[in-house]
Amino acid sequence: MTQKLTGMMNDPTCALPSGDVFRKVFENIQTAILIIDPAAHRIVDANPLAEAITGRSREELVGNMCHEFICPAHRGECPITDFHQDLHNVEREIITKGGERIPILKTVAKAEIRGREYLIESFIDIIDRKKAEERQAALIGYLSEAILRVKKPLELMQQDFQDLAGQAAGGDFDAEDLRMQLQIHANNLGRIIINLEELQQKAIAGREEDIPREFKDFITGA
Amino acid sequence: MSHGDRGSSLCLLLASADRVNDLSFRVVRKTLKSGCIPLVVTINKPCKVLIKVYEKDGIDPASYYVIDAVTKYSGGECTPGPRVRYVNTPSDLTELGIAITELLRRMPAGKKCIVFDSVSMLLIHAPSATTSKFLHFLVNKLSLADVSGIFLCVEKGLDPVIVSQMSAFVDHIVDTDKDDSLTCPL
Repeated sequence: MTQKLTGMMNDPTCALPSGDVFRKVFENIQTAILIIDPAAHRIVDANPLAEAITGRSREELVGNMCHEFICPAHRGECPITDFHQDLHNVEREIITKGGERIPILKTVAKAEIRGREYLIESFIDIIDRKKAEERQAALIGYLSEAILRVKKPLELMQQDFQDLAGQAAGGDFDAEDLRMQLQIHANNLGRIIINLEELQQKAIAGREEDIPREFKDFITGA
Repeated sequence: MSHGDRGSSLCLLLASADRVNDLSFRVVRKTLKSGCIPLVVTINKPCKVLIKVYEKDGIDPASYYVIDAVTKYSGGECTPGPRVRYVNTPSDLTELGIAITELLRRMPAGKKCIVFDSVSMLLIHAPSATTSKFLHFLVNKLSLADVSGIFLCVEKGLDPVIVSQMSAFVDHIVDTDKDDSLTCPL
């Protein structure tokens, strides 16, 4: 898109005042855009959404080096200019003014503007999507925990009740033997109900920290 | 077959729910045959019932030791004996750990093997993360004491994290629905 706009800007037959069109789109598009000078790794322009996501004004951004300022990559480790990677809709992070790292979906395109090559970095904030994924992982975690702590023990208890029926029919087990086993199962059922209530409360409260990190990673494939 | 320099072995045995009880006394019988003294940790059956079930299968009550985590929990009478140790409730994992340590110490010298029946029932009383930590603690303790351990569990009754953690600290994971030979070495 940026290359098309650049083309429009340079097209003498285009009826609209090219600079105005580019600037209007640049300022109103719902995608954050940073224009980077790849030789110096300096930010040369930033649109309002890039200002909003980074928490820095255009004046703060322009002229600054991109690495370790807004990009977590260190000097000499730029994925584009040093490692020659193709970044197209990939999950990355951007550093905000407050030092927070925000997950973004990023594309970097090279474009020539008035004879010079620039990097057009466009990105969207995916923090809500990441939160939703975390929430989904937590819910699956609670569901798995419920199956572990309810379904499997219930399967065992079902088998035990069948054994109990057999014991009651035979003469080897006295009334106290049967009573104790029935009482254990009654207590276990009570415990299972409490477990379910606790799991439900935690799931409603969204206490994701109760789900082990390894489990989240397993679910999300991280 | 042992793990590293140990003479003992640690094994997680998986079975479908309808086969776990059957597996328990088969494992005890096999343990006895191999010259090991079993210490059965029961999270499901009171000791009094367990003894009767095992006796019906020809297992002498004088041949094994029991940690009983459910007789007190059921309000039953705890008949004291040199071969049994009672725990107040299965949810008290600290007391369970102490009871295992003390009874192992009290048992005569020679090859010993813990038969844990079962990990799945323990999950009623403790979250999977706590159960995993307890099992890790127990397995370390058994390894240091050169005691074998067989942990019974309902097939697919453990979350992948517990299985992956346990695979790191047990020597064998055997799905008995696929391999019923109980070749898990002691």
